[in-house]
Amino acid sequence: MYTLGIDIGSASSKAVILADGLRPVAGQAIQAGTGSSGPKQAVERALDEAKLTLSDIAASVATGYGRFTCELTDRQVSEISCHARGVSHQLPSARLVIDIGGQDAKVIRLDAQGAVWQFLMNEKCAAGTGRFLEVMSRVLEISLREMGAYHDRSSRPAAVSSTCTVFAESEVISLLAAGAAKPDIIAGIHRSVAVKVCGLASRVGWEDDIAMSGGVARNQGVVKALEAELGRPIKITPEPQLAGALGAALYAFDQYQSKNKTGG
Amino acid sequence: MSQIRELLDCFKKVATCPGKIVREYREKTGKGAVGCFPVYTPEEIPHAAGMLPVGMWGGETTLRLAPSALPSFACSIMQSITELQLQGVYDSLVAVIVSSPCDTLKAMGQKWRRQVPCIQFAHSRNTKIDAAADYTRREYQSIRARLEAACATTISDEAIQTSVRIYNEHRQVMREFSGLAASHPDLVNPIDRHMVMKSAFFMRKENHTVLVKALNGLLAKAAKKPWEGVKIIVSGIMLEPVSVLEVFKQNQIAVVGDDLAQESRQYRVDAPEGADPLDSLARQWLSMYGCSLIPDPEKSRFSLLRSLVEQRGADGIVLCVMKFCEPEEFDYPPMKAYMEKNGINLLQIEIDQQIQSVEQIRTRIQSFAEILRAQRARRASIAQL
Amino acid sequence: MDKSATSREMLDYYLKKSYADAAAAKKSGKKICWATSISPCEFCETLGIHMLYPENHAAAIAARHGAEDMIQVAERKGYCLDICSYARLNLAYADIGRSVAEEMPLPDFLLVCNNICEVVIKWFENLSYELKIPLITLDMPYNYGPEPTERGVDYIVAQFEDCVRQMEIITGNTFDWQRFNEVMDIALESSFWWLKAMSLASANPSPLNGFDMFNYMALIVCLRGKNGCRDTFRKLTEELEEKIRLGYTAFPGGEKYRIMWEGIACWPYLNFTFRTMRNSGMNLTGSTYPVAWALEYDRGDLRSLARAYASTANNSSLPGQIDLRVRVMREYGCEGATYHMNRSCKTMAFLHHEMQGAVSAATNTPFISFDGDQSDPRNFSGAQFETRIQGLREMIDQRRQARPGREGEL
Repeated sequence: MYTLGIDIGSASSKAVILADGLRPVAGQAIQAGTGSSGPKQAVERALDEAKLTLSDIAASVATGYGRFTCELTDRQVSEISCHARGVSHQLPSARLVIDIGGQDAKVIRLDAQGAVWQFLMNEKCAAGTGRFLEVMSRVLEISLREMGAYHDRSSRPAAVSSTCTVFAESEVISLLAAGAAKPDIIAGIHRSVAVKVCGLASRVGWEDDIAMSGGVARNQGVVKALEAELGRPIKITPEPQLAGALGAALYAFDQYQSKNKTGG
Repeated sequence: MSQIRELLDCFKKVATCPGKIVREYREKTGKGAVGCFPVYTPEEIPHAAGMLPVGMWGGETTLRLAPSALPSFACSIMQSITELQLQGVYDSLVAVIVSSPCDTLKAMGQKWRRQVPCIQFAHSRNTKIDAAADYTRREYQSIRARLEAACATTISDEAIQTSVRIYNEHRQVMREFSGLAASHPDLVNPIDRHMVMKSAFFMRKENHTVLVKALNGLLAKAAKKPWEGVKIIVSGIMLEPVSVLEVFKQNQIAVVGDDLAQESRQYRVDAPEGADPLDSLARQWLSMYGCSLIPDPEKSRFSLLRSLVEQRGADGIVLCVMKFCEPEEFDYPPMKAYMEKNGINLLQIEIDQQIQSVEQIRTRIQSFAEILRAQRARRASIAQL
Repeated sequence: MDKSATSREMLDYYLKKSYADAAAAKKSGKKICWATSISPCEFCETLGIHMLYPENHAAAIAARHGAEDMIQVAERKGYCLDICSYARLNLAYADIGRSVAEEMPLPDFLLVCNNICEVVIKWFENLSYELKIPLITLDMPYNYGPEPTERGVDYIVAQFEDCVRQMEIITGNTFDWQRFNEVMDIALESSFWWLKAMSLASANPSPLNGFDMFNYMALIVCLRGKNGCRDTFRKLTEELEEKIRLGYTAFPGGEKYRIMWEGIACWPYLNFTFRTMRNSGMNLTGSTYPVAWALEYDRGDLRSLARAYASTANNSSLPGQIDLRVRVMREYGCEGATYHMNRSCKTMAFLHHEMQGAVSAATNTPFISFDGDQSDPRNFSGAQFETRIQGLREMIDQRRQARPGREGEL
């Protein structure tokens, strides 16, 4: 029995297929988000990977920014619950989930059962989000993938404002003009993201374990900066960008089960 | 090194390491320091208790803890104060005193999270009627009572009376300094001027008076040299960080007068002498004017600035608007219209204590200076014709 | 007014009439006063001065989607976008004298009372300066402690007396203290029936769809000293009691969640926010607005009047503000709260962090916070609001599941 979870973000689309509510058999991420062909592509590729067709899927759930536009399912669960669920499934001891996506940075406090207790998200401005890192990567002409490696080469992180993307962008430009080293600028950018997220985390409070999901978790620089700010190690889920889709597939499984129980 | 330079460095030392000053004061006198939030606090009361009243005007600091306590659209002074507070920087104070002239400060008094007692109070905001003086006097009485409890001491009327006289003399001396600095821009650059003003928040005023008097004496004797650069008046809550003042200095811009809450607004009005010192202080509050935080439908701030420009022969005004400070932001549109009508050059810049890059401000200030210079050259050539 | 009219019809009738009366009064040379939303109406009413409320007018402009153009007018004058958007809208209106909302005649004088915030002090100061008209100030010192102090009350009473003197000079009429008592009676009755009607939202299910409260609010703001206000809320109370008797629910599909809304409405998105919550089965049953205009005082007693006006929620200390919200959540059976992080309202927003933690802990309920603005449409994101509302629903479900005896949703 297979269930499908689709996470449609602002900049990317993810799909996970789960066997019997336990075992992921496919996971795909496409760099095209809501309103594009991304969601459809992600689902098609996941089905190919699992060697299945859509008719094999017993239930599906959509999550993410574009969850209401998804034509493959009429069942939506918020990305807060899905990320929490996905992370909790892989790291049952997690009590705080940090998810940095394209538009949003969120911190989710979990209870002893791994359920959402309280969450907070960034203010409307994009500082501290994936979009912010993207803008910086463009200014610095360094790909997102390389930023973690640059971070490690920094000896003295530069001071970058954590309040506003537009502002931070002009700061980075003046740092470049002043001849600051790119590794130091990048470490400064990562720290500014970490400060922003840590501000949210300290409002919900945290205890061990801290886990991180979302595509930005693949950037080791951000993870290290966050660990430094929080003063604790952070556990990263395997394939962190798929955590939301995995959570959605788990919710789809719940739905399948409850439908079968009631005979509907 | 000249004597003037030596003295100026002395003020700079005080203004740049308040922590050390507070520690030394405690060690020397056995008495502590009382933190005074911006903008107006009857400092005479903690002063009369033998305490060192210390101005809390934030500072340059990276905001790490503050975002968890204060939304991003609060002004940067309060962001810095929140940050420093949560870092424990103020933990050695005996008490802090917070006034309530704006929504942010009202909240700041309530959000205080440390063990150090927080004494909040509210000035009268209707300064038109006599009952306001009575209310403010009794509000000051309550500050005195709460401070006595915090310091475990009593504060006598006589002691406050003495402090009122010391503060009046200090105000007088500071006003003189502002005038002397204006006539010697070659000897007192914008950073020096700011440090003299700022250091007053970290010294017992009787001591600060002695130093400033000495400086005034030297300046009065020094020869006046013609100033090639431009002259401006600055207005707003404060003009910091120093990197912004540095831009003024580099562009040969002299600050020949100010209407800053952190600087001359503190020294504008003396307390009238009288039998009841708290009544004197209350009456001083009622006669304060020309500040965005003091209600004034006549907007006397504008005419005050205009006469300051005329008196000091300034080429223009730089309005330093504290980002997210609504009282200041409300004054800008009518001020702009007023200055345009009166043919006075006005440049608005945005002040943020956490600013990491002054490039945008540099461009604006530099072009403003260029405009002022060109105007002056034009005036001179017309005069020659 | 027709006896068979519904409270909704009465609301529309009296609001329109108030603006029309003011316009007519202006034409006939009578005095017009612009005032802040919780300023004492009793003095103007006694002297027959027409009062108008810029906050209410600005909200109406925003709700009718006319804010953006007006805000540009204010910005061209130099009003920066960090300033309260009500103020920006009204200062623009004072300049151009028209908007998508009712015509609001320009004032002959202003009445400002800072028991709601300090921004009104600057806003009305600018109006007074630009329009060159008198400004009467009623300063209600901030209650950093538990309640208004005696010195504060003395000072406010002196200001009341001074305010009467100033109004006598402006109108050329003598203040009739007998009439003042009658006006106080009406204002007290209006407050009584307003609170009575709004408190019926505590019934389960609530007969009142919470966003209706935002609409009815206009009347208690603008016409508290008039019979029409009292009559409308008495009528509304009857209607709601009847609905309770019939077990009527405000929602198709039933009211699944009862929520407290903290802060001012997001007027440009009133419908959107209402629909989003309704689609999640959420009814807004809790708000601090019912008590905001439930001003109780002893008739004829200026000291009591001073205390009542000085004790508004916004003028209270943090512990007082927390207590009020805990009380609201309990009385109105709220299982969660949504906090409007309102860019325009520093006075409310800057205590949110503390309130959220304390109220959530005391009531064992989750909360969400969303970014918005009372009337600047640019500071709100629909997708963000939807996600957070859904998150709130899921958290409430989670807590219901953890608590036996209540049915879970997810």
